[in-house]
Amino acid sequence: MRIMALWLAGLCTLEAAHFYVTVAGLGGEPEYEQRFAAWAQEIDQVLRGSGGQTRVTTLHGSQATRARLSEALETVARETAPQDALVLMLIGHGTFDGHEYKFNLPGPDLSAGELAAMLSRVRAARQVIINMTSASGGSLAALQRSERVVITATRSGMQKDATIFPRYWIEALRDPAADADKNEVITALEAFRYADQKTVRFFETQKRLASEHALLEDTGGGEGVRAPSAENGRGLLAGAFPLVRFGQAQAAAQDPEKRKLAARREELEQQIDQLKYQKAALPLKEYRKRLAALLLDLAKTQAELDK
Amino acid sequence: MRRAFISAAVAALMGTASAQTLKDCRDHHRRGRLEEARRCFVQQAQSADAYLRAEGLWGAGDYQAANAAFRLAVEQHPKNPDYRVRWGRLFLERRQPQDAADLFAEALKLRGDHAGALLGLALQAAEQFESKAVELAEQAAALDRNLVEARELLARLALEENNSARAIQQADQALAISAEALDAMAVRATMDWLNDRPSTAWLERILKLNPVYGEVYAMAGRFFVLNRRYEEGIAFYRKALELNPRLWEARAQLGLNLMRLGADEEARRHLELCYRNGYQSDATVNSLRLLDSYGNFVIVQSGPGVLKLHKKEAAILRPYFERELQRGLRAFEQKYRMKLTRPVRVEVYPDHEDFAVRTLGMPGLGALGVSFGYVVAMDSPSGRRPGHYHWASTLWHELNHVFVLAATRHRAPRWFTEGMAVYEETVVAPDWGDRLTPEIILAIREWKLLPVAELDRGFVRPSYPSQVVVSYYQAGRICAYIVEKWGFEKLLEMLQAFGELRGTPEVIEQALGMKPEQFDRQFRAWLEAATQATVKNFDEWKKRIADLNKLARAQDYDAVMREGGAVRDLFPEYVEAGNAYQLMAEACFAQGRKPDAVAELQRYAAAGGKDPALLKKLAAGLEEMGRRKAAARALERLNYIYPQDEELHRKLGELLLAEGDAGGAVREFEAAIALQPVDAAASHYQLARALRQAGRLAEAKERVLLALEAAPGYRPAQKMLLELTAEENNQPKGTTK
Repeated sequence: MRIMALWLAGLCTLEAAHFYVTVAGLGGEPEYEQRFAAWAQEIDQVLRGSGGQTRVTTLHGSQATRARLSEALETVARETAPQDALVLMLIGHGTFDGHEYKFNLPGPDLSAGELAAMLSRVRAARQVIINMTSASGGSLAALQRSERVVITATRSGMQKDATIFPRYWIEALRDPAADADKNEVITALEAFRYADQKTVRFFETQKRLASEHALLEDTGGGEGVRAPSAENGRGLLAGAFPLVRFGQAQAAAQDPEKRKLAARREELEQQIDQLKYQKAALPLKEYRKRLAALLLDLAKTQAELDK
Repeated sequence: MRRAFISAAVAALMGTASAQTLKDCRDHHRRGRLEEARRCFVQQAQSADAYLRAEGLWGAGDYQAANAAFRLAVEQHPKNPDYRVRWGRLFLERRQPQDAADLFAEALKLRGDHAGALLGLALQAAEQFESKAVELAEQAAALDRNLVEARELLARLALEENNSARAIQQADQALAISAEALDAMAVRATMDWLNDRPSTAWLERILKLNPVYGEVYAMAGRFFVLNRRYEEGIAFYRKALELNPRLWEARAQLGLNLMRLGADEEARRHLELCYRNGYQSDATVNSLRLLDSYGNFVIVQSGPGVLKLHKKEAAILRPYFERELQRGLRAFEQKYRMKLTRPVRVEVYPDHEDFAVRTLGMPGLGALGVSFGYVVAMDSPSGRRPGHYHWASTLWHELNHVFVLAATRHRAPRWFTEGMAVYEETVVAPDWGDRLTPEIILAIREWKLLPVAELDRGFVRPSYPSQVVVSYYQAGRICAYIVEKWGFEKLLEMLQAFGELRGTPEVIEQALGMKPEQFDRQFRAWLEAATQATVKNFDEWKKRIADLNKLARAQDYDAVMREGGAVRDLFPEYVEAGNAYQLMAEACFAQGRKPDAVAELQRYAAAGGKDPALLKKLAAGLEEMGRRKAAARALERLNYIYPQDEELHRKLGELLLAEGDAGGAVREFEAAIALQPVDAAASHYQLARALRQAGRLAEAKERVLLALEAAPGYRPAQKMLLELTAEENNQPKGTTK
């Protein structure tokens, strides 16, 4: 996603830090306890291995209490600057009584309203909250805010079965296939699309009625959507939010000798984006001809950059 | 005086009218005086007596009011079983079998020897093709020796099982009770028609009694359809409607059967006419709904065939179905030495219940595929859970039906048609087709298999839950036995004989030179010898496979390896959940013995195992061992089981590309793209690689541009674009690839 690439260029110069907090809540049964903890540990492993300026906090098992989560978010609130980013991932069971969502934790549960209050103290302007618990759709309204991406594994608080969305979310964080635009960055939007598609296919393949439908909301108001797009106005912020970086994209952009070429590359990328927007208005043959020329130019520029 | 006079006049008028009794109404109807019958029933519908009113309303076609009147009659006369039986018959006619059965059961509680109630239950069981129908009808006939309808039903049931002698006997008994037993005569007429004797004296007798008795043709239509002679069945339904256009069940059946043969527009007209006239049976409504959904399908011409595929999966299924369709048609044309005269149409349904409605008009069908002559309908691989369905095996099975039905003009008995198809599945590949299952082993052990001359009964009216499955197996084994002992030519000889309308006993005797009973004895000895060890070991296997699963759950891998081989060999055909191959392979993997695990999974695949996860593990293991060709073969099996798997095609494409099979790789990468992968750019790029290797450079460039359109910064694709452009620029002018 090109808009994201421009964001990233800005972020690189500001040296923004990414704070990741992952919480695996109460399993209730040994099978779920093990599954939730394993998922949290896998996320922890992926994030710690991804390099860059990242701070990773992971809570699971008996540590994943409301007090410890509050403490972790307090620390984040203290240490973050406005240009930083926060990624909060919740795994486990959630409940919804028709009015209020609660994240099930050892000891007292945590309501969506209480969580929102804790998050409001975090100075990082950009935040992604990925609530992957059952009934997580019930938390969306309380958590949404401008400059915040909220992803829920279910479309409402009434979808109460244990979710499998987290399994594919984790897969998205480490599968290069999730990097749809091949820019060596997996954004929140890319990870959402990947995990959602895999979840949908899981239910289709298993011939089971889908008991969860993930949503994304990143405008700070209104309903979450299943398929973020320019048409429904969702996905812009999520597409600009890097979750995991890999490869050498960042290093190349910081090489002063190559800045000219990098500028040319960005110019071409913008032209390609503009051309794509014009696709519907252009004769197909003309569109393809112009696209091929731009892509070839871009490929040549990149080859020069890679020398 | 005046008052008395008026009353007398009205009474006289009423007297004339009320002289018509319910019996008169039925007599009018029976004689085909339908308008008189209608007027008579309308008059009965005015009766003060709730029961007579119910009968009148029913006869006049006001079913809701008839239902209410019956309810009242039963409330007024709670001890009268007759009213409940008649009410039940109304429900039976209106296709509410459970309500009908409840009322018959209530009547029997009131009077245990009520022949009419038993007959009602028999009719209800007959509708569901339940074996108890015969027993119930016999009980009814024994209780009331003048119950013509019971004998008529027994004649129909015998004919359904192709037991002509008994059908004639029962029909004649009915006619001995009443020379006007129309349905008994209809059974005899149907038998003549089924035996290719178009001029039957029975028809004349029937029409003399009732010139508009379309039911005779409707019965013939039903039997022709049961014998898979769909086109002739349709012709009979048309004749039924020519005599009486208000035979709604016949019209609905005409619609359903037209739909079976792909004549959807005419089918819709008949079904809608039924619907508009209040005949809204489940089959009618379901079929109309399904017809409405046909806009979601695409029709694809495919060489000698036509494919009807759901839009959402047409791109992924088309290449695989086309290939198997063409391969199957070629193989059978050669083997059966015949050319089909029309294209075969294969319809593939992703929703199993749509396939069921397409087949029966009703959901809940257990079959995977069905052939209506030149039209085949079947489940899509996506209609079943991965690993539970081998679609290619099913397609070949159904294609075999097309040939057998065409060769015999739809005259082969069901056992032979199914037997040939089951036999041919495993001829294509030994790991195709169904396996020996525990229920079949039990049937062999207790010898529940039917004599060959009666084997059709096992398909039409099973007497125990697994009898249909057992009968498929038996029929397939009979064909295999004939091939083994006499050669395939004998099957072709029998095929021809069946086409000449000879019955099973005659064909067996003529082709194999022995009486059916002798054949049965020899076949039994052969089958028992072939399955002896598995049958003998079955109880021991049951216990030991349970123990082996416990050991596997406890992760006692040494014990699994110690016991597993012996348990597996007790019942080597068992490849379902918790099979010994899987447990042993998993134990080997856990102990780091990959080559042993791979060997075990190879045995699993050869035995017909279909679990995609295990076959993928096998492929991965083979690839790790450097055996890429074998790995590709393992994955190719999965294309026949569950092709809707992007990872499968990507992996298989890579293996084929590495092995230099660029054409195969192109096919697989195209399949991956058809599944709308998350990583569209990488998928287009892989296809571009395969196209480039296949020398299709222009297409490769198109693909690499598609990859870059999705991901402009995708380095490998950029590199390939530069290379392809350079190659293009180096080509002499005027040349293209």
